[in-house]
Amino acid sequence: MNPLELTLGIMTAVGGFVDISELVFAAKAGSTFGYALIWAFALATIGIIVFSEMSGRVAAVAHQPVFSLMRHRLGLKLGLVTLAASMIANLITCAAELGGVALILNYMTGAPYLLMAVLMALVMVVSIWILPFEWIERIYGLLGLFMLVFAAALIAIHPPWHQIAAGFVPHIPAGLSTKEMLKFGYFVVAITSAVMFPYEVYFYSSGGIEEGWGIKDILTNRVTAILGMGLGSTLAIAILASSAQLFGAANVDPVIPGSAALEAAIPFGKWGLVVALLGMLFAVAGAAVETCLANAYSIAQFFGWIWGRHKKPWEAPRFTLTWITLFALALAIVVTGVDVMTLVEFAILFSILVLPLTYLPLLLLAGDKKYMGKHVNGPLAKILGWLYFAIITAAALAAIPLYILTSGGNS
Amino acid sequence: MTPDSPIKLVSELLDLPLYDSEQKYCGVVDDVELKGGPGKDLELVALLAGPGAYKTRLPGWAMWLVGKIAGDRVTRIPMEKVRSIDTVVNLECPGRDLGLHRTEIAAGNWIPRWGAL
Repeated sequence: MNPLELTLGIMTAVGGFVDISELVFAAKAGSTFGYALIWAFALATIGIIVFSEMSGRVAAVAHQPVFSLMRHRLGLKLGLVTLAASMIANLITCAAELGGVALILNYMTGAPYLLMAVLMALVMVVSIWILPFEWIERIYGLLGLFMLVFAAALIAIHPPWHQIAAGFVPHIPAGLSTKEMLKFGYFVVAITSAVMFPYEVYFYSSGGIEEGWGIKDILTNRVTAILGMGLGSTLAIAILASSAQLFGAANVDPVIPGSAALEAAIPFGKWGLVVALLGMLFAVAGAAVETCLANAYSIAQFFGWIWGRHKKPWEAPRFTLTWITLFALALAIVVTGVDVMTLVEFAILFSILVLPLTYLPLLLLAGDKKYMGKHVNGPLAKILGWLYFAIITAAALAAIPLYILTSGGNS
Repeated sequence: MTPDSPIKLVSELLDLPLYDSEQKYCGVVDDVELKGGPGKDLELVALLAGPGAYKTRLPGWAMWLVGKIAGDRVTRIPMEKVRSIDTVVNLECPGRDLGLHRTEIAAGNWIPRWGAL
């Protein structure tokens, strides 16, 4: 295990953890329910760690990405259903991230939102074209570390640490009306979806193959998944906790994605705001690139095309044409003028519906000795894997009724 | 070999990734070609790759869509060109000798060859 590589990997995972949906739901959860939803972030973070570690291990041992194996394991028809569902979820998520980036640039420069969306889509396409995989992952991830300002901001406002600690214990706040209870339930589902977005696992597993992981990288994979995603999640929790203290107490509803940046502006002034906006810009831009590539990986792997950005764009031409087309489609969605918050809500909803389909084949593969040999799921991975599969299945079943009953958490 | 062995072989073989003798990824086993019939031995004679091979395994609407987008090209890989079958299928020769990279090469003509690090 190379310490420098490992540190870079962890830092990249930390910087790349938060995306537009987490920004939105962390801020809204804090202002609406105080510290009571911290446990939902913590619980979902353990889930994404479990499945990311599993997908990285499958990539390192079987040298096969999730979608290749999914088709073999689920069969062509069910595999195609999973591919279609995850494509829709990832495309909407990509559009939400692209819209988020354009919005943040609009806050920072005052330039028109749609112009910024077109410009950033071009910047991202050019960056994927020019840079090899490792650079793409590192540059966006490391620049996303500006997000650490949210952790510093939380410390600076002297929050009630005992209340934050109590928030880690799963509970439902006392005295909620039925309507508030439903809204709380919707937030739990939305946070689970935002933290466990399916694209994260597709990207992580394919990234492992892009970087040529082998058996020797199993420990690196485990440490990166646990520390990188665990520490990344603390940033989302910091946003929630600051929102609880600053917005919740003042009865402010952070309805626009940029509201979270004010959490850094209050203790640190103008420069806090600038650093927070930069962190959000790079973290969300990174997520846009990841969702687009994850979608292209899935399609290419399913149909058996040459794929990967460790190859030159012309060495994997169908893969290249796919990610360019997907960026164009995401931009087309943004250009229709649909509200970023609406896109975030649809991304959350579609993703949670896809999650069980995404994670079931992964669980089966990581537990299959034929593929994994002695690196097959141990008792802990097995128990946690099936427990989280039950949790995401319950969340998927509850998602649509809760979305309708609470008007997407807005009523 | 028990009566259900060939069926198990096919079900485990379908949709496996294909790697050529240069360890290059060449696609997926989309279908298989069997020889024989009722009362005769059933023999696996070739693996098939390409949209023309898998589209018949899809529901009607998807078959039509795949045909329109990807065409109906099939590449036949005789079993004597298969070196081993485990979690992937390894071939005896380079994929290009079997015509497995034709579509990638054709698509590559659409992509400019500059600018990438």
